[in-house]
Order: sequence, then structure tokens, then C-alpha cells
Amino acid sequence: MDKTNSTSNSVPHQKRRVSRRSVIKGAAALSAAGFTWKSIGPFVRDAEAATLELRWLGWEHYNVKSLTAEFENRHDVKVSAGFFDGNSEAWNKLRAGGTQDFDLVMADGFWPRLYAKQGLVQSVDYSKLDLSNVFDDFVPPKFTLLRAEDSEDMIAAPNCWGGYGFTVNMDKVAAEDQESVNLLFNEKYEGHLSTSARFEENIALAGILAAHNMGTQDSERPDGKSFNPYVLSDEELEECKRLLIKQKGLLVNRWNDEDTLERLLRAQVVWASPEWSGIYRRIHFDKLDGKSDLNMRHVLKPTEGGLGWVDQWSITSGVTDSEKLEIAHKWIDFRLEREAMKTVAVEIGWAPTVDVRDMLPERYVDTLFLNETGSIHGLYQFDAPSSPEKWERIWSAVEAA
Amino acid sequence: MRGRRALHLDPRVRFATLVGPGALFIVLFLLIPLLSIVVFSFWRTESYELISDWNVNNYEAVLGEWIYLKFLLKSLAMAAAVSAICLVYAWPCAYLIAKHGGRYKLVLVLLTAAPFLTGILLRITAMQQILGPIGLVNMALMELGAQPIQVLMYTNIASAVGLIYLWIPFMLLAIYLSLFNFNFELLEVAKVNGARPWRAFFEVTWPLNWMGTAIGIVLVFIPTFAASVTPRFLGGPNGSMFVNRLEHQFGSAGTWALGSAMGVVMCVASLVVIFVLWRTVRLRRAGFTGAGA
Repeated sequence: MDKTNSTSNSVPHQKRRVSRRSVIKGAAALSAAGFTWKSIGPFVRDAEAATLELRWLGWEHYNVKSLTAEFENRHDVKVSAGFFDGNSEAWNKLRAGGTQDFDLVMADGFWPRLYAKQGLVQSVDYSKLDLSNVFDDFVPPKFTLLRAEDSEDMIAAPNCWGGYGFTVNMDKVAAEDQESVNLLFNEKYEGHLSTSARFEENIALAGILAAHNMGTQDSERPDGKSFNPYVLSDEELEECKRLLIKQKGLLVNRWNDEDTLERLLRAQVVWASPEWSGIYRRIHFDKLDGKSDLNMRHVLKPTEGGLGWVDQWSITSGVTDSEKLEIAHKWIDFRLEREAMKTVAVEIGWAPTVDVRDMLPERYVDTLFLNETGSIHGLYQFDAPSSPEKWERIWSAVEAA
Repeated sequence: MRGRRALHLDPRVRFATLVGPGALFIVLFLLIPLLSIVVFSFWRTESYELISDWNVNNYEAVLGEWIYLKFLLKSLAMAAAVSAICLVYAWPCAYLIAKHGGRYKLVLVLLTAAPFLTGILLRITAMQQILGPIGLVNMALMELGAQPIQVLMYTNIASAVGLIYLWIPFMLLAIYLSLFNFNFELLEVAKVNGARPWRAFFEVTWPLNWMGTAIGIVLVFIPTFAASVTPRFLGGPNGSMFVNRLEHQFGSAGTWALGSAMGVVMCVASLVVIFVLWRTVRLRRAGFTGAGA
């Protein structure tokens, strides 16, 4: 009789007891196994099965789920997105090693050129893009900011465009005041004005008015270039400071989010404020639909000049793999397709640089200013302040006043 | 078995095993970033670029120039005012709950923390709906034919109201926990010995619960001093605080070196407040009987 049999014979068959210790041991083992698999799982899959991932950094509203899904299905890739609020934030992210984290970056105005100067983005191969439907106003030779400053290399492709004009309540603001930047500094409207909390655009708008008042807007500039509200002289900055300090007493608030401004405009607490025109469009559509009586207008280009932007896609210098480079171009090309641009126009309300007028209802064509694309050439493009340190001091002085 | 024995027998191994991971976490994710902030504060920024050009200009600006110093003083004043108002409001509430709450004490205290079931942004948005120019209060006033109250929205007063609303549960909880262990019979003894209620309060209740009160002050003062969302959304054109300016340096302005100096100054100011309050606590008087008391 072997020992096993002996044991089995001598000990009556018992149902094995589940002790607390065994439960804890089992749970611990399961947790360890799960944790290990979760940690190493992504790295032990078959390399051939790995899906290519395209990562872009941009404004959150451009993250249109339906477009992403369509592109992923079409090219069998995964698309992920990171977001920023302003160009300088994206700039800091890329400078801090973000070119390895993102394959594409969005920027507007002069910013792609700054990226190119710092070697953060690479050339975009225009032969891989179908630009046939893009308005002439947004590609060279009419629009040159897509090209590197010191070469013929194309460094970005256009996406959407717009201005940073004023939405004005026409029943409250006199007609003769509506089209001037001075409206934002007009004591007649004390307690009924608002501006955004963005310091660059506040100073730039004040800079346009300051240069206009000082007569320096059309005179020869120290840098030999034409007037740019982001490159202001010390005297102009001092005048900006004076204007902005005066403006503080006239403001209801500086809005951080569009919802707040929309509520204040609809309640007629605020009569005029700079904004991207999205709020104007929503209120105007409500009027067209008979849901609102408010008479609003959006002044895209004030008499002294205004701010504008064409946002663009660039490919970061971190993309070295040819397959990734190819798919990055395909993404830009996909976003330039008319169907994709129509979706962007209708779903998120930004004006496409692609001509989709025949695909949109008339109200969209009007309020997205798609019959006025030439206006972009009369608007000062968004840029980085010539000296962020000086601008910061001006803004701190305004805030402290 | 050997590993288990080692844990049992060698205190150094046991200490290292237990303390090591936590200490490593603190060094990696707290001390090194803090140290880098201190280093950056002695550098300078030029066109969004940090340049390792050692200087103290940032500290001269933060502590010597009115455009920055004003925000530091304003934030300290706001934190002090909010703490004081929370203290005055929370003490009687906590006292009533601790003394007369009966079996509902815990429920009542937990109810004060109910707003914490939602996020800070939601609570601030709710405050906007109540205090705003088109908020509940002003709409009601206008319905009644009265003038709307302008100071209720987009002012420093609105910020203060928002901050009090946000942090008062911390003050209340700290004082309540202190009073929870307080022997109310001592007040009877004081009365028997001829003390009037106010004297009994200031000579018995207050000093014996000062530690809980001081903790409550710290728990309100520090987050108020560091508040950014509330002043940004409720404060209006004149509502900017020190932290808003600090955020601005690290955000769109990109002047990281100046922002780092502001961060260091803020950290030191907070530590000074904690130190001053700590010096006022007499552990033995507060009834603390632990080692070193």
C-alpha cells in the first residue's frame, strides 16, 4: 500500500475548507497577475498586430468624434488627441519634448513659422494634399504664412479661419460706435462691456487703437516691416496700458468661457464684446428661428483694423518614420475634404478654408463669412508678442491698477 | 521564510522596506519638482525660453514691485478675511452640533460637507447662477422692484463669498472634532466657581479647543491663499489674486522664472502662517498628553 493510498484511506474525504487566508492569497495572486498583464500586456503582443497611432495636439473643438472614427476605419490607424488653450501653451509643450509625444500640431497666425524656426515642425509635402477646393485666399501666393520665412518650404496646411471681432447688440449700441475698436473703451457703455481674459489679444486690440490714435499705424516701423499689433514700441505699449487701465472701469467682467459671455449677451447685461463669432451665430440663428428678439451683429473688421487667424496643421519634427509621415499627410488631406469641412462648419461652427458654400444652408454661409474670405488679408494675424516679458509687465500693471 | 525572518529580525530592512517606497515617491514627485522650481526662480526667461543666468531679479520684482507685491498682500488679506469669517460662522455651528446634536451629530456634520459631493467648477457655476447680474438674488430683487446689488457679482466681495462657501466645511469639521472630545462638564465646574458663560467660554472652551481651531484656520487659509478658480470666475476685472498672476506666468505669458519665484514666495508665506499658528498652540494646555507635550 503506498503512502498516498494509505493517506487517502485513513483520512475521510472532506470538502476543502476555504479559509480567510486562502481567499486573501488568491485575491493577491489574481491582483498581481492582473497588474502584471496590464503593465506588460501592450508590449507582448505580436508586433505585426500593433496599430499605428497618430497623435495630434490642437484645440479641443476640432476633436470631432465622427471624423476621427471615419479616418480610423479608412486607414486602420488609431488617432489620439491632446489639447491646449492657446498657441503659447502648445509652444511650451513642444519645447518641453512634445515633438516626441505628438505627430501633428495645430497653430495659427505666425506661430507655424516660429515652430519652423525652432525646428519643432518639418515640411509638409503639398503634392500629397488635394488643395483644389481651398479658397485662394488661404494658400500662397495670397496667404504666405504657410511657408517658411526664409525658404520656399511649406510648413503648414490650412484648416479653418476667422476673426476676433466684436459681437454688438445693435439695439443698445449707437450705429456710429459699432465698427470702431474704440467701442471697447467708450465710457458711454460703462458697465455693459466685456472682454476675454486672454492678455495677448487684449493688448493687441488696444495696440491697434493706440497706434491708430498716435498715428504710428501707417508710419515706418523700427523693424522695417508693416504694422503688427504684436510688435509694439515702448510708447505704444505705454498707451496700451493707459487704455486698458481706463477700460477696466467699464467692464462687467473678463470672460473665461463662452457660456458666461453668451448668458450675459442674451440677458443684455453686456452689449458688446470681442469674441470668435460663435456666440453671435447662435444668437442670430435663434432670431432667424423666432426664438429670440435680439438684434446682434458681428463686426469682423473694425475701422482701425482687427485681429484674424487661419489655423493650420503642421507635422512635428519628431515624425521620422516614413509610414507615420505618410499617415500624417493623409490626416491633413482628410481634414481638407469637403465633407469633413462641412462637418466642422456645421457641428463646431468654424469657418472652413475649403469652399463648401454649395453644401451649407445660406445662414451658415452668411454667418461664417464665407462670401468674405478676402477679409482675412485686412486682419492682423495672431502672433507671439515681440517681448513676452514686457507684455507680461504691462498686463500685470493693468491687473494691479 | 528567510524573507519573512529578515523582516522580523532586521529592523533596518523592515524600516527601509516600509518607508522606502513612500520616501522615494515624495523625493521623486514632490521634492525634486519643488527644487527645480527654486532653481528656475533664480534664472530668467526670454521669449518663452528659460536661461540659466543666475540672478535675484525675479525676487526683487515679486517683493519689490507694487504690480506683484499688491497681489501677494491682497491674497494674504483675502485669506485672512475669509478665515476670520469662516471662524466666526463655524464656531457656533460646531458648538451647537457637538453639544446639542445628540445622535444626529455625525449626520449634521456630514451634511455640511454635502457640497463636496460635486466638483469645484460646478459649485462655482452654481454661485454664478445665484449671485450674477442675472442670478437668483438680483432677479428676485428686480421682481420686487428693487435695484440689483452690483457688488454681488464680478467683484472681490463675490470672490470672498464663493471662497467662504467653498472652505467653511473644513473649518467646521476641525472645530467639531476638537469639541467632540471636549468635556463640557468643565463648563459646569467653571459656572459653579462663579464664572459667567462668556468667561467660561473664553477661559475654558476656547483655549482647550484652540488646537482644532488653529487647524481649521490653516485648512481655510492655505486653500484660500492658493485659490485661482473662484477669483477667476467670480472676481471680475479687479478680482485677480496672487495665484492668478502665478498661473499667468506659467500659462500664456511663458515667464516661468518669474512664476517660479512667485511660487517660492507663496510657499514660504504659507509656511510662515503655519509656523506662527503652530507657535500659538500650547499642547499641554490643549489637553494633549502624548510624548513631548
